[in-house]
Amino acid sequence: MKTNLHYFLFTIASIILFASCQKSIEAKTGMVKFNFRNMINSTPMVLDAATYTNPFGETYTISRFKYYVSNVRLTGTGTTAIENESYHLVDESIPGSLSFSFETDENTFSGISFLLGVDSTRNVSGAQTGALDPLNDMFWTWNSGYIMAKVEGTSPQSNQVGKKIEYHIGGFSGVNNTLKTINLAFPSGKNLIITEGKTSNISLEADFNKWWQTPNDIKITNLPVCTTPGVQAKQVADNYSKMFTITDVANN
Amino acid sequence: MKFKILISLFITLTGITILLDACKKADKTNNSAGFNPTYLKFIIPAGWPQPATDIFKANPLTEEGFQLGRKLFYDGRLSKDGNFPCASCHQQFAAFATYDHQFSHGFDNALSVRNAPPIFNLAWMKEMHWDGGINHIEVQPLAPITNKIEMAETIGNVLKKLSIDSAYKRMFTAAFGDNMVNSQRMLKAISQFMGSIQSFNSKYDQVKRGAASFSVSEEMGYATFKAKCNTCHTEPLFTDYSFRNNGLTLDPFLLDKGRMGITNNPADSLKFKVPSLRNVAYTFPYMHDGRRFSLSQVIEHYRTGIAINQPTLDPLLKNRINITNQQKVDLVEFLRTLTDDVLLKDKRLAQPQ
Repeated sequence: MKTNLHYFLFTIASIILFASCQKSIEAKTGMVKFNFRNMINSTPMVLDAATYTNPFGETYTISRFKYYVSNVRLTGTGTTAIENESYHLVDESIPGSLSFSFETDENTFSGISFLLGVDSTRNVSGAQTGALDPLNDMFWTWNSGYIMAKVEGTSPQSNQVGKKIEYHIGGFSGVNNTLKTINLAFPSGKNLIITEGKTSNISLEADFNKWWQTPNDIKITNLPVCTTPGVQAKQVADNYSKMFTITDVANN
Repeated sequence: MKFKILISLFITLTGITILLDACKKADKTNNSAGFNPTYLKFIIPAGWPQPATDIFKANPLTEEGFQLGRKLFYDGRLSKDGNFPCASCHQQFAAFATYDHQFSHGFDNALSVRNAPPIFNLAWMKEMHWDGGINHIEVQPLAPITNKIEMAETIGNVLKKLSIDSAYKRMFTAAFGDNMVNSQRMLKAISQFMGSIQSFNSKYDQVKRGAASFSVSEEMGYATFKAKCNTCHTEPLFTDYSFRNNGLTLDPFLLDKGRMGITNNPADSLKFKVPSLRNVAYTFPYMHDGRRFSLSQVIEHYRTGIAINQPTLDPLLKNRINITNQQKVDLVEFLRTLTDDVLLKDKRLAQPQ
């Protein structure tokens, strides 16, 4: 009996050990790459140079366009792949910021989900680094919290100094919460397939024109600047939560 | 036999633990070889509540981090023109408030728009600033460093100035394992220094510990305090950290509506954070805009000066506070027992030589 017990314990130990080390040895992983393209209506956004017209006939230029994409997930039937430490700042003026990739286990997915903005936890967790570094000019120093999305430019319809328009949209808690979870299914018939050693691509477009309308009319004449959390920031966020579309999924 | 089973069980479990540990270790990248800081223990005084959040949980308190933070706190290079270190408005001899100044001086001859609050016992303070706009000690320094009327600098410029200083490179290495200078490390180091400024050695504390005794007047003042002030200025921190309208009229120049500026909620109009009364004899002038210069004036405000017609006035103050002349004298005597000479003179908190 003594021997039996020994064997029993040894077997259990072996199983535990094998199971714990096995994953890191045997899991097959591939890469997924997200590619963002910022648009206005159907044309690629051009900073500073181009003049655009919003749905109310007001004209404007854009000098800065930045937004946070965080908590990125791949979703499928009964499966979800979550990116670790998932914080990205998409900045139209920095081409390298328009795409990011991460490693994930082999699987097939039918859509994606991400947070447009920075989750409330990281808004209250002190000094951060990387995409969340306050150096990125996306953190309010007088009313702690991240700017989720930011656009700056000019418009003849603005009554502000230098005809400026500035929308710094943020607020992460309670009635001022502007966080938006974006769920997007891939075009029908297209799945994302993660294959060992290969990179699969997801292409997305963000249409800035969506910021102005539906469900809330944002007219430059009435609101050339919005740089604090509150009702107006929430209205803009309601609008821009609809700016993303997936244009392509490519498995390699 | 049972004994032998236990032994074999023990050996097996030990084996599993060691091997699992080995698995884990293999995953870690070992980039901090030789990094061996001196960890410090943060003191929670006996009988005090636990801090609302553990400010050193994600920022382990070390001697090296503390010393780096101390150097940064006293370094003018954190400001645009070099003249305004954190310590220019937060002076140790004033319990880290600005001594005898209603408003503090900032870049380009600017005056601040609020009275500089003292710095101590921040581990218990969940929200910084008079309006509670800052939600974590680590992001607090960003506000004065970048404010155009305070230190008026950019974080990027500060980091550039620190990066070319070999003394800082050594100190960042000692505190964090390598010489990378970034905003997160700078802010965490300053937080280690600020969070280490503690006040729990006043005469009041000694009386509570049985090591001293109040004079008759102090004792009478303490009784009045407990009856009339303790609800908001709750012991042992002498604040409940709530936001309240204490009946000051709106300043027509500053138009400072306090907490409402953060929450956009009209119900928060004219509300400001209840300040701690520890070291109150050294933190004059008083109130969020420093409009009361003496403790006597402050008490006078509460017994005769409260603007009782304000809709957001704290309900506890709607009848003002009934304090006799004798009680007023004794109350001031008691408040002086909250002075912490250890804090005011601690060489560890002074400008590094």
